[in-house]
Amino acid sequence: MRPFRLIGSFMRASFQEDAAYRTNFFISLFTSLLNLLTGVLGILVLFGQIDSVHGWTLASTLAVLGVYLVVSAVRGLFISPSFDSLSGMDGEIWSGAFDFTILRPVNAQFFASFRKWRLFALLDLVLGVGVLVAAVIQLGVVLSVWQVLFFLFMLVVGMSILYAILLIFAALIFWSPGVLFTWVFDGLFQMARYPANIYPGWLRMVLTWIVPVGVITTFPARALTDSITPVELVVSMLLAAALLVVASILFRVGLRKYASASS
Amino acid sequence: MTRGIFTPSRGGWALIRSTWLSWMQYRSFFFILAFGWMIPPLIYLLVWSTAAGEGSISGMTRGAFVAYYLILILVNQITYAQTNWTVGDLIRYGQINKVLLRPIPPLYDALASEFAGKVVYLVFVVPILVILAFVLKPELDLTLLNALAFIPALIFAWALRFFWGYWLALLAFWATRADALLALQDSLVFLLAGQVAPIALLPGALKTLAVILPFRYMVAFPVEVITGQLTRPEMLTGFAIQVGWMVAAVILYALLWRYGLKRYSAVGG
Amino acid sequence: MENTIIRVMELTKTYRVPVRAEGLGASLKSLFKPTYSEVSAVQAISFEIPQGEMVGLIGPNGAGKTTTLKMLAGLLHPTSGQVSVAGYEPWQRQPQYLRRISMVMGNKSQMLWDIPPLDSFRVLGEIYSVPKKEFERNLEELVQLLEMKELLTKPVRNLSLGERMKCELTASLLHRPSVLFLDEPTLGLDVSMQLRLRRFLADYNRSSGTTVILTSHYMADVMALCPRVILIHHGKILHDGELGTLARRLMPFKILRITLKQESMAENELPELPDGVEVLEAESNNLNLRVPRDEAAAITAKLLETLNVADLTIEDPSIEAVIDQVYTDGGQ
Repeated sequence: MRPFRLIGSFMRASFQEDAAYRTNFFISLFTSLLNLLTGVLGILVLFGQIDSVHGWTLASTLAVLGVYLVVSAVRGLFISPSFDSLSGMDGEIWSGAFDFTILRPVNAQFFASFRKWRLFALLDLVLGVGVLVAAVIQLGVVLSVWQVLFFLFMLVVGMSILYAILLIFAALIFWSPGVLFTWVFDGLFQMARYPANIYPGWLRMVLTWIVPVGVITTFPARALTDSITPVELVVSMLLAAALLVVASILFRVGLRKYASASS
Repeated sequence: MTRGIFTPSRGGWALIRSTWLSWMQYRSFFFILAFGWMIPPLIYLLVWSTAAGEGSISGMTRGAFVAYYLILILVNQITYAQTNWTVGDLIRYGQINKVLLRPIPPLYDALASEFAGKVVYLVFVVPILVILAFVLKPELDLTLLNALAFIPALIFAWALRFFWGYWLALLAFWATRADALLALQDSLVFLLAGQVAPIALLPGALKTLAVILPFRYMVAFPVEVITGQLTRPEMLTGFAIQVGWMVAAVILYALLWRYGLKRYSAVGG
Repeated sequence: MENTIIRVMELTKTYRVPVRAEGLGASLKSLFKPTYSEVSAVQAISFEIPQGEMVGLIGPNGAGKTTTLKMLAGLLHPTSGQVSVAGYEPWQRQPQYLRRISMVMGNKSQMLWDIPPLDSFRVLGEIYSVPKKEFERNLEELVQLLEMKELLTKPVRNLSLGERMKCELTASLLHRPSVLFLDEPTLGLDVSMQLRLRRFLADYNRSSGTTVILTSHYMADVMALCPRVILIHHGKILHDGELGTLARRLMPFKILRITLKQESMAENELPELPDGVEVLEAESNNLNLRVPRDEAAAITAKLLETLNVADLTIEDPSIEAVIDQVYTDGGQ
């Protein structure tokens, strides 16, 4: 399978690049652990004071955090590194090195999405899974195979939404290089650490339907407790599909714009 | 570098002025950065005020949480020393030569971008905080004493955070990537400086750690002072620890500059 | 031509450039209603290039060279006109097409900065799906031709500019393209590195039959490598053919350098010269004269007769001088 072989070779090269900065490893490890600790402690301190907020208990909130950490880790594993090498002041679109990217006999969106990997993010992934497992134990439920599959499915839906949003931002760079859309989104995405229901009504609506970061983490966590309604399931799938289509069209239009304007 | 670094000079003010003017050119960029920094405390504001609901948690009502966090956002913005990141980069890419060749002490460069940055960020943050205050309705019993004590607490907090980050950044003279340490410091501040939860709500051991380590005194301490969370003795102990850490940070900064430069000129960048 | 690989017909490219006025008000206005002006970079140019030829694309900065090159490679979409390279329309960027071409840009790098070139090459091998055996063979050949065996395992950031260009060339030839586009490949390199790269390009072109299109500001590159040049100025082709013909056509002059015997030249006074002779330089007993090409022989004879000549040489104007004249007044 050619796509997988390509991804494999991108991974190898990226790992070698990372290894050039080995000294950072231990500090990065420590920062990862500390970030985890901060997240977990924030929840523990909160539920040390009260039992539940808007129906969310310690266990289910922990599950949301677990999903947030897993999704962030996958994002940090390849989506962000790949897109970051496009954008910014030293990014390819700004410097013009993107010319090489579109001259490769590989689909440009595939190439732009998968070519840079960050080894350290695997650690975050392990930590995130750990939090998820702890949350499930805390919930005290026994999950059937179907529930696990359903959870994984919702996780993929959530990650597709995240990927599509980030691809849209990456594509916007073709129109205005250097603008930090992603930074604004990151701010809002941090809100997904907590269940969307914890926020005031207007913000909950914004986080679910306008900037759907709530769907990315809250829905998979709710899949664990079987509280997803069929309507929500269908709507979130449609949302993911629509965003993916829009993002990939936007990216293609951006490519054409790059090809007609660059000099 | 033995010249009086605290004596203001004409060159220094000119540098501050020009830095500020050039930063205003890119204000939208800095507004976006400031937006990013506001979000995490804002999340905890919403979480805690929702959790408090109609009642109270450890004596803090919904309105008290709102007041605490709105002031915290302001203090965090004022004391956040983004310059420290630049210092490390300057050393790593050898651009520090340019700074060293100027006839004014290098500290001015950092101070210039500090002041310039603060003004730009506050232009953005203050109006937003005012709007949030109208929407979220904070409750604050302000006494004159607390308000007066807030001013030195804030200034010391800024100085502590600035010099603490500066000496960490100066480690770039020895290690190639000191920025990972700065990221680590940001995480520690987040956890131990009253952002995740007001220090009073932290569990026992963590609370003791927060009181001893310098991080609380970079953000949370001034906020606790003005919101009247501290008794008189607690406040006085707080000031003592804060000033102690500040002096330590300045000494570390001065030492690292001295030995770092010696090493830099010996190695030749 | 039978084996034409590149065919360009009436190729035109017009850029729309946003016009921005200064000041906050004006920039706000342009946000909602941008105004554009049109800049035509390439105007209806046509040419054909046979398989295996090496063609130099020359012209002053902003003449349209790079724009033309990018349209040929498929990086830019032409405003009108037709291009066919190896039977493909470049701007569609079909994978089959992209596998048959390659581009090297003197000011941009395709190498991964922190790892040795060999690892970048392997990634490229995967991207172009070069079979393993073929990859090893091509790599070995290129490494030998470019004498870069010892560079393969050093991180790219530790390489010199010249060494990096060797890597760029290897990277772009690993998949054995039929057409190679070179945009200023010798930019910033020292003289001996320029010479070695030129020799490599000439050898490679001869042995592999790869068609090469080269842009360069160094006339030495073009003179040494390209039997044929296409001179573009203000988006139009001014000349298509040999470089020598261009010189003869644009500069119907010869340069006469005369050294007079010491005693014969009066202080600050020029001797009397025949009609049609232009003095370029006159210093102590040296004279530099420009004479019409057709009359060069006659005038020389006359000068030898009238002046007390110690030494005399007849030269063609230098190619740099020809090009300078074209660039400054458009070859009129």
